[in-house]
Amino acid sequence: MILVIGARASGKRDYVASLGYGPGDVADGVLDDRPVLYNLQDLTMPDPEGAPALFDRLIEKEVVVCDEVGSGVIPLEKERRLGREATGRLCCRLAKEAEKVVRLVAGIPTVIKG
Amino acid sequence: MKILLTGGSGCGKSTFAESLVMKFPLPRWYVATMRSYGAESEAKIARHRAMRSTKGFETIESQTDVGKIELPGGGTVLLECLCNLTANEMFDDEGNERDPYDKILREVRSLAEKADNLILVTNDVGSDAEAYSDSTLRYVDALGRLNAAFASEFDTVYELVCGIPLLLKGEGL
Repeated sequence: MILVIGARASGKRDYVASLGYGPGDVADGVLDDRPVLYNLQDLTMPDPEGAPALFDRLIEKEVVVCDEVGSGVIPLEKERRLGREATGRLCCRLAKEAEKVVRLVAGIPTVIKG
Repeated sequence: MKILLTGGSGCGKSTFAESLVMKFPLPRWYVATMRSYGAESEAKIARHRAMRSTKGFETIESQTDVGKIELPGGGTVLLECLCNLTANEMFDDEGNERDPYDKILREVRSLAEKADNLILVTNDVGSDAEAYSDSTLRYVDALGRLNAAFASEFDTVYELVCGIPLLLKGEGL
């Protein structure tokens, strides 16, 4: 599994396309049989408690793409705070198992693992 | 040696900080700065405590005034985290505010002089564009300036991303 992370609109989709995946390969914020998942944070932010249980299905993917949501002022709303933590912790576990972790900054991919 | 660790929420800073401390000999002090505001912070404090329980840390609770901490000399201090310390020094329970920059700079330097090694954990709070109150923006500014000041004078700086340490300055360990 390749984990692709970076801020919103940092070039993650273009990077995934450069790996050869087309629109038909990509599930956007839903877990199904397609090999690429975009917007993992759309699954974890509304349901922080359910986030750890997604792990087994996510490591079966070829590519998992997630926004980095842990920066900025710590939110006042508890759900958002827990959502950021749960997203970050899940990404830590995914990064540990991933063959490769790529971080996008301003469209530039940096391989930070693998 | 002085090491600064930065990164967002849930990016593995505490785990990495503790693995760094374990590379240094005993004694190991953990300076805990978090004020408890109920169940959520209690859970976080308990999680951090459990991580440290087998690692030979002595915990020092110090929500403010870290310059007053007395240490016998030598050893390694892990201070977690600068974001809490900055908030605690900046805002009191009565709603008063003061600029914490000079005091924190002075007191963390003084703490560093009392040990062989200091590992300081901070957070990147400036990377969003929400419409915060003026006082929250002053907090973001203060912490950003402190991060830059400590990064400039410390030996080593890492950013944690998904649990992966990215070396931004100095020699890795």
